[in-house]
Amino acid sequence: MVSLQRLDTMAYSKIKLPASASILILFGFILLSLQLMSSSTQESSELSEMHSWLLVINTLGSITLLILVVVNAYSLVRELKKKEAGSRLTTRMVSLFVLLALAPAAIVFYFSVQFLHQGIDSWFNVEIDRAMDDALELSQSSLAQRMNWHIKQTRQIAAQLEDKSDTLIALEIGSLWADSGALEIAAFSSQGRILASSSTNPSDILPHLPDEQIWLQLRQNKEYFAFDPGDNDEMLVRIILPIDRDQRRFLQVLYPIPVRVTDLADSIEFAFIRYQEMTFLRDSLKTSFSLILLLVLLLSLLAAIWVAFISIRNIVAPVKELVKGTQAVADGDYQQQLPVMSQDDLGFLVESFNQMTKRIARSRDETRAAGLEVENQRAYLETILANLTAGVISFDASFHIRTANQAAYRILHIPVSHFVSQTLSNLAGKHSELAEVLEAIQQLLEKADDIWEQRIVFLGPNGRQELLCRGTPLFLQDGSRMGAVVVFDDVTDLIQAQKNAAWGEVARRLAHEIKNPLTPIQLSAERLQHKLSKELPENSQDFLQRGTRTIVQQVEAMKRMVDDFSEYARPSKKQVEKINLIDLIQEILALYLHSGILFTTSFSSRGVIVEADPVSIRQVLHNLIKNAQEATAGPCRIDIKINKAVRNNAEYAELCIYDNGSGLHADQIETIFEPYVTSKAKGTGLGLAIVKKIVEEHGGVIWVDTSYNGGAGFVIQLPVFEFGNSE
Amino acid sequence: MPSLAKPFSIGLILCLSLWPFLTAADPYTAIIRQAGLIETGPNNLQIQARIDYRLSPTAKEALHKGVPLTWIVAIQIRKAGRILDTTLYSQERPYRIRFHALLNQYEVATRDNEGEMFLTLNAALNFMSNLHDSQPLAADLIQPGQRYYLAVKCRFDRESLPVPLRPFAYLDTQWFLSSDWTLWPIQK
Repeated sequence: MVSLQRLDTMAYSKIKLPASASILILFGFILLSLQLMSSSTQESSELSEMHSWLLVINTLGSITLLILVVVNAYSLVRELKKKEAGSRLTTRMVSLFVLLALAPAAIVFYFSVQFLHQGIDSWFNVEIDRAMDDALELSQSSLAQRMNWHIKQTRQIAAQLEDKSDTLIALEIGSLWADSGALEIAAFSSQGRILASSSTNPSDILPHLPDEQIWLQLRQNKEYFAFDPGDNDEMLVRIILPIDRDQRRFLQVLYPIPVRVTDLADSIEFAFIRYQEMTFLRDSLKTSFSLILLLVLLLSLLAAIWVAFISIRNIVAPVKELVKGTQAVADGDYQQQLPVMSQDDLGFLVESFNQMTKRIARSRDETRAAGLEVENQRAYLETILANLTAGVISFDASFHIRTANQAAYRILHIPVSHFVSQTLSNLAGKHSELAEVLEAIQQLLEKADDIWEQRIVFLGPNGRQELLCRGTPLFLQDGSRMGAVVVFDDVTDLIQAQKNAAWGEVARRLAHEIKNPLTPIQLSAERLQHKLSKELPENSQDFLQRGTRTIVQQVEAMKRMVDDFSEYARPSKKQVEKINLIDLIQEILALYLHSGILFTTSFSSRGVIVEADPVSIRQVLHNLIKNAQEATAGPCRIDIKINKAVRNNAEYAELCIYDNGSGLHADQIETIFEPYVTSKAKGTGLGLAIVKKIVEEHGGVIWVDTSYNGGAGFVIQLPVFEFGNSE
Repeated sequence: MPSLAKPFSIGLILCLSLWPFLTAADPYTAIIRQAGLIETGPNNLQIQARIDYRLSPTAKEALHKGVPLTWIVAIQIRKAGRILDTTLYSQERPYRIRFHALLNQYEVATRDNEGEMFLTLNAALNFMSNLHDSQPLAADLIQPGQRYYLAVKCRFDRESLPVPLRPFAYLDTQWFLSSDWTLWPIQK
């Protein structure tokens, strides 16, 4: 894990360094650009030619930075709206930074502009304006005075040459040039033909003749005088006057202006022009410098804000990760491991978070494992409980049902597990047929402080049932009651089997102890009859005959009774085959066609195939029909129904036989299927016992339908092999 | 990344709404009155053009305050193509006018002329309006059966203005003194 953290740190370092370098390069470029722009404002600088480009580049840079800042701000606003982690902290830090950076920068900018404007304004004042104007006027006056003097001088020369021929002019012009002190003197015709010239520079073969512009003015004004720029930055006075009154010939004289005067005049003109230019550029200067200052401010501020965005995001990144990690932990994800981006306090915080999540994850895993173990144990116990043949119901301290297994449903025929958090009394309210047993258990639970055991007999939906209940109160370590567990088992079959076994033993003993002496008794009585009937008087013979007949009859009766009982107790020898129960019933009913019994049948299926011994089933039906017939005083009516029933996930054919007889008393219902229990005077009391025995031998059950009140009702459920098509 | 469609749309709408003002015809632009080639010899051609310079009040004020103004006359001879024209000849001639306060004269400087003094502004501008010192061109530059154009543009050189004035010269219509390219068919 340590190596992983180092890897994280290294990865961060690899990312961080180029980012810092980029920021440094950015600021370097900005500084360079601003410096270049600042230098380009100087006219003397070579960079002045690039001023516009630098201005454009810096403006574009500002716009780019502004876009970056706006994009970042917009992104931040969206994050804020989405309430993303770390967005509030980033906003707060960026706002603080912008406020702290903007306020002093704005103040500096404001005062810089103020100072700049005041500085520029200080260059100009009325005195300097007047001084510059006066200096220029002085220079102009000086030059004008010199010009006027030269004009006068030229006029005198022209007057001397007036009315002289061209030849004379050529001869005199040299002396006139020497006297005048002029640079060059020339005479030319109105067509521009040179008549004579003289110059200080012997290399000048031709005089400096006037150009088109001068000729144009000359033709208009008849004379021309102006300052001309000469060679080597010297200034000349060019004066052209007509020699003749008819302007046929002109005299041009070029006078030099002293170098000192020229320099002074140039200096004054340069200063004046410069000052005038500055005056003209006054507002432009202010605006231009303010613009540059603004650009400097914008570039610096925007770059700083953009870098602040990046830096603050980098700073907030661990916090953001921490918030996300915390949210993930809050949502239950304990596998969060955040990258350690720095070795500062935040890095320490992230490391602590990672350790915390690791510990939480470990604790969670241990708890989960423990829970899983508990769950496995619980599932194991539930599996055991579910597969127990005994019903188990657990109760809490207030005797509300907490759990119930499948066997409870199988025994009680009610889904006890659906009544969790209810008491048995509530259950009894909804299942009145079980009210007796449930109330009994409830009372035992409430009263018992120790383990208890109780047999409870009740009449369930499938007839009489006997439960063996064992209750165990549960206590906590502090002795307080936490609930109870009741385990119960349906011992009806077991008790019945025990009774059957007892009855079998009785039958065997009867056969052995009673039936064996009966034959000698019968033979002895017959022998007595045979031996003594001839020897006794007639009246005694009659007595003897009646007595021996009675003995023989009773012995026969006793033999039949013992045979019947033996028949009942003897294990049956079934010949099982697949039979259609409906066909069998139809066959049996055909036998009773003329018996006066009214049969009504109702079959839910056309064919109900059961695996049974047809002889035994016939006996069952005969016994039941016979019982019904004997129990009915008037016209006998028997309803026979066959329905489909499902019990314990197995299909059964439910055969219901109802008569309109006198019915059964409540006290008879519990013992009606036991041998020698009968309500008839001549009955042996074995009919229903045999019926029950046969049904149970076929894997079925029989019970008295207590819900039927029109007479006696019996319900037989037999395992079915196949149901035919439904009607 | 946040969507930039909305800000971009606003910017586009602003640009479109300001475009007519930025591109409005300006009354101070130079006008190429006439341009063409004339034969000055059996195998020589010379470019002639007449340009009207119109100074805005601001430009005049700047000139009289000592700010020199420079135009560059660009001349091209283009051969018409099916899709693009081919430039056969290209030349740029600078013209700079400045005011001498001491002498109260205007000086016009060209590429070949150090400075020509004029007593009036009109005279100076009139001097500038004609192409001067144009070097002769070889007559075989123009071949019969082809279409040629003489392209002339008079561009006011804002970059020759003083530094503080340059940014505003690009924004203020008073300084929009350049002409557009004008095309003059060459007949031979």
